[in-house]
Amino acid sequence: PAPAEAGRAPGPPDGGWGWVVLFGAFVSIGFAYAFPKGLAIFFKEIQDFFGTSYSEIAWISSIMLATTYGAGPISSILVNRYGSRPVVMFGGLLCGVGMISASFCTSILQLYICVGFITGFGLALNLQPSVIIIGKYFLKRRPLANGLAMAGSPVMLCTLAPLNQFLFDNFGWRGSFLILGAILLNCCVAGALFRPIGAGTALVKTQVAEEEKDALKGKITEGGPMENKTEEEGGKDCFEKVNQYLDFSLFKHRGFLIYLIGNVLMFLGFFAPIVFLAPYAKHTGIDEYSAAFLLSILAIVDMVARPATGVIANSRWVRPRIQYFFSFAIAFNGACHLLCPLASSYTGLVVYSSFFGLAFGMVCAMLFETLMDLVGAARFTSAVGLVTIAECCTILLGPPIGGILIDTFGDYKYMFIKCGAVMVLAGTFLFIMNYYNYRMLAKEEKERKTKEEDPKSVKTENEGKKNWNKDSTQDGPELEPLREEGEGVKKEMNGT
Amino acid sequence: LLTDVSGTALEKNITLASPTKVELTCKLDENSNLKNPQVTWKRGSETISHTSKTPNSWTIQLTISESSQLGSYICILKGEIEVSATFHLQVPKIDGKEKRIITYEADRAVMVCKTEYDPKAWTWYMTNGTELVPINKILPTDKFQIKRQSGNVNRLEILKLTQEDRGVYWCEAAFELGSSKGRFELKVLSITAPLKPFIAIVAEVAILVTTIVLYEVYSKKKEKGAAKEFDQIEQL
Repeated sequence: PAPAEAGRAPGPPDGGWGWVVLFGAFVSIGFAYAFPKGLAIFFKEIQDFFGTSYSEIAWISSIMLATTYGAGPISSILVNRYGSRPVVMFGGLLCGVGMISASFCTSILQLYICVGFITGFGLALNLQPSVIIIGKYFLKRRPLANGLAMAGSPVMLCTLAPLNQFLFDNFGWRGSFLILGAILLNCCVAGALFRPIGAGTALVKTQVAEEEKDALKGKITEGGPMENKTEEEGGKDCFEKVNQYLDFSLFKHRGFLIYLIGNVLMFLGFFAPIVFLAPYAKHTGIDEYSAAFLLSILAIVDMVARPATGVIANSRWVRPRIQYFFSFAIAFNGACHLLCPLASSYTGLVVYSSFFGLAFGMVCAMLFETLMDLVGAARFTSAVGLVTIAECCTILLGPPIGGILIDTFGDYKYMFIKCGAVMVLAGTFLFIMNYYNYRMLAKEEKERKTKEEDPKSVKTENEGKKNWNKDSTQDGPELEPLREEGEGVKKEMNGT
Repeated sequence: LLTDVSGTALEKNITLASPTKVELTCKLDENSNLKNPQVTWKRGSETISHTSKTPNSWTIQLTISESSQLGSYICILKGEIEVSATFHLQVPKIDGKEKRIITYEADRAVMVCKTEYDPKAWTWYMTNGTELVPINKILPTDKFQIKRQSGNVNRLEILKLTQEDRGVYWCEAAFELGSSKGRFELKVLSITAPLKPFIAIVAEVAILVTTIVLYEVYSKKKEKGAAKEFDQIEQL
């Protein structure tokens, strides 16, 4: 744990309380991803109760998913402003309130609001800050931490599914929603663990120099005096103010754009196979329980794959080239889907599920790690918000498009081919673009080293929430002395 | 109208809603060990004569017009070994719910009956002891509502539930060839039932959050104390 505040290195601790935070993030992320999926058990009963069609019920899931991803920027803004902890606790409270009020609903519209919007929004406030705070507590072991935290999703799903069934058998859907509301309040507990960490506002210049030497990957940690100065400079126009809360200048960031395009493309084919795996199995004549078992296999392999990927991604050989590993994982995923139509027997589908679980886990484990790697922990807060709202559209479109393909052709294989093709394309795109990006960064690095110019955008490891890049150029003179002291100024992307 | 193909001991269910002509065929696989068997069609103890015959298949034609004609029809192939296949002619079954339906007081219960074909009539029963009491229009409509969602889906809604409403309910679908029943068991809970685990979990959350916050305050105090000492040492 951290020593006295005055002497604390503002660099991420990579351990200590970080492991507790990791556990909290594990729970929080688990709820955020697994809860919407776990609700599916109640849908048949609710459908009968309100006398609606299946598609009207499916809207609950869609609204929830859309809100969870769409509220990303709002979540980011709140974290930028208030830090992770209050946001997660408020999110947990919101989820709880949403589900509790859902248990008293008398119409499907009310369910849309309570379960869809309120709980969805609460989950969004859970997801982003959890991912963000991992970046604040871990650096050297960050891929591992990310992998472990993301493993929360399959673990929670495996826990929630039988739990939901049990609650439903004993309490009906209303009682279950009430109790689930209470269970979601545990996100507040997870949030309480997210002790704020960051550069204090009382750091001295010499301290900063020391820290720069200590910095593991050469990230700059600049201190409070700068922050105060920027605050005082005031006179911000609207655009700058918005930029302060949500960094739109990220759209000029090459790595960010690459990630955004690649991921938006990938999500078109990411979730559809899971949605249709069980129906496809039943379609080929497999009984219901064996079909459900396929999903269990997927979840179990996923559970193991995520931390394992974290370990691999953390290793010395992979970490500098983690973007390649990510692209490979996506392409591997796509290849699995393309090969799926060849599997006609149950054993074939079991093999497919295992590989799919592996690939799915690999991609998920590195999903946020690669973004952190590209933009750095300081801008990650805004980056993740912008990325999730962009992904929101394709995530929602993916399964319906798959469904249309299945209905039109009457055959599942076209859906698998479409998903596989999209993902292989996304993987290849990311691979090529990141190769280009790595080269450009190496070139820029060389230029900076030889010329010792002011880089146009100084990336800062400021756990506070302010974004610098607009202001840093104005602060040129103040930054100079610091930079001279820290020769080892590098951009985040550089491998060790 | 209907045919079937079978090679080894098999069973097949055929659902009939209204009177039709049915053709049942037993076909022998070419690779079977059985050659030139003796074939008999039976229903119970009664033997039925073939309507048509080809080298490898034997067919009977039946006109089903009343419920007594439903049942199991077997074709037996006797040779070196004996092989048989059974066709079960039945009325459409109802998808009911095997598990109990959990509802709450002052809420409503919904029971939905679904079949493959449209029946002539739907009837709902509630059990009074061992008797089946039909639920019909005599009973108050603000308590019982029967809705026909579509031809083959029927819905019973019981409003303003009380503890007395719990028990077994039946829905009966009457077809020309007979009727089939679906069973539902209703359980009515009071609101306090889920409230106990709910309060338990909320208490757990409150305790954990308080513990975490107190721990943090405590450890910060320790740090501050240590920091003060540190500063003092530095100044010295």
